Amino acid sequence: MSSATPCLGYGLGLRSTYYSEILEQHPTVDWFEIVSENYMVDGGKALYYLDAIGERYPLVMHGVSLSIGGPHPLDRDYLQRLKQLAERVQPAWISDHLCWSRGNAHQLHDLLPLPYSEESLQHVAARVRQVQDTLQRPLVLENVSSYVRTADADFSEWEFLTALSDLSGCELLLDVNNVYVSARNHDFDPWTFISALPAGRIRQLHLAGHSDYGHYLIDTHDHPISDPVWQLYQRTLRHLGPVATLLERDDHFPPLAELLVELDKARTLGAAALKAEAICA
Amino acid sequence: MRLIDWQLELEAFLLGDQPLPAAALRDSLLGSPVLSVEEGLAIYHNAYRARLLETLREDYPSLCHWLGDDEFERLASAYLRVHPSQHYSLRWLGARLPAFIEGYLVAEQSAPLAELARLEWAFTLAFDAPEGVPLTLEIMASLPPAEWPSLQVRLVPSVQWQVCRYNSLALWRAGKAEAEAQDFPASLALEQGEVCLIWRQGLVSRYRSLGAAETKALHGMAVDGWNFGELCVVLTAYSDAAPLQAATWLKQWISEGTLERPGSSL
Repeated sequence: MSSATPCLGYGLGLRSTYYSEILEQHPTVDWFEIVSENYMVDGGKALYYLDAIGERYPLVMHGVSLSIGGPHPLDRDYLQRLKQLAERVQPAWISDHLCWSRGNAHQLHDLLPLPYSEESLQHVAARVRQVQDTLQRPLVLENVSSYVRTADADFSEWEFLTALSDLSGCELLLDVNNVYVSARNHDFDPWTFISALPAGRIRQLHLAGHSDYGHYLIDTHDHPISDPVWQLYQRTLRHLGPVATLLERDDHFPPLAELLVELDKARTLGAAALKAEAICA
Repeated sequence: MRLIDWQLELEAFLLGDQPLPAAALRDSLLGSPVLSVEEGLAIYHNAYRARLLETLREDYPSLCHWLGDDEFERLASAYLRVHPSQHYSLRWLGARLPAFIEGYLVAEQSAPLAELARLEWAFTLAFDAPEGVPLTLEIMASLPPAEWPSLQVRLVPSVQWQVCRYNSLALWRAGKAEAEAQDFPASLALEQGEVCLIWRQGLVSRYRSLGAAETKALHGMAVDGWNFGELCVVLTAYSDAAPLQAATWLKQWISEGTLERPGSSL
């Protein structure tokens, strides 16, 4: 893990469903990750709870609309809004996805994969540098789940992430579930992906559930984490050492208590993988 | 294929009505033993539509309830063809739906539907508008009597001033309560149009219909810039108890958190 920021431990994605319970119950969660765009508003409930929860817990910002690989110029208004939000939140770090979510003319609101080509690498690296200049901090980029891949790739996805990190100085958010989903869909070994990444650049891990359609998987974030993903997570921690881990749930929200049980499972399995009582000293 | 050309191909595919990829896009991709190129593309095509429709359903639950799922989906799909998303946040996807409805159907059908949509969108706008600096009764209690006649106020930023010519509020309430079809009120034109105020007080969304006299008084003070003394003068034409009525209304508006002093939230 990158050594500049201490490992935060085990976090949950902050969702409005759980706002009041979090403030009333002060659950044992080490940190929360917010979806940045949900707080790019001028007032109301979201900002109230953001401030109140931010007083009690460390926060990390995770965006979905940067479109770092898009064909359009980077959206200056969006970046300014992101920067303003960062000033308010004082996040431990800011992440988004290695993808494009805006086309030439329209917002597509999806985490679309890139061709892993030399052209894409140069395009994305230049834009990462622009974002980092604006935010005055390293950008953390997450690998996405994918359902198509291009034929004329110069790199594998893991080679691309590594090269991008080298070229731009960005850090990585390794979504273990996304690796598993893409590996099943594209028929590669997930461990080949994870073991090839530059361990020192991995700032954070994501865990989430997916939907199994029999022969392929879709990353839906609406189920508990599957057993193969737990196994991959443990293997990842044995390989990397302690890394901040985040449990994501975006639909079919269970009671908070159920998510906390799942987060405890991550702690237990994480500790077992690290052969220690706690993941973060 | 160049990166931008490939992205334009994929964008055109996603925006198309049917998941039918152009040959150039299909040939640029590799399938796997478990997921063919066509299946993989269809996942993205379906997700794009489903996500946008779900957002519109969440922003317009009463409209959706009134029209039914199928009719709402037809309306939403027609809207998205004309107004694909331009904002990075889905929060703004439905902003132009009320105006779109006005041109989508003939006037007699579209007017009540557009009004209901406008009402629902007003709640969305109030929900995350800036807080402003609402006047409180405590602040008013400290106002020296000599300053009352010249007191000026305006609406806090979250207040949405909706003119209703139909029973849209009743439809909205029925939609909110997820009323069964047989309990859903028929759309009716009101004998006299009324103003519905929608705003946020603290974290709570509120709404209230105003009578004609109160509408005139509130608009005069909070929009037209009358001071309290001028309000009293106007009301005198209607009532001997004008100052009392003016003070009663002002107290109510302030208790409800709808007013601030000009310049207070600049």
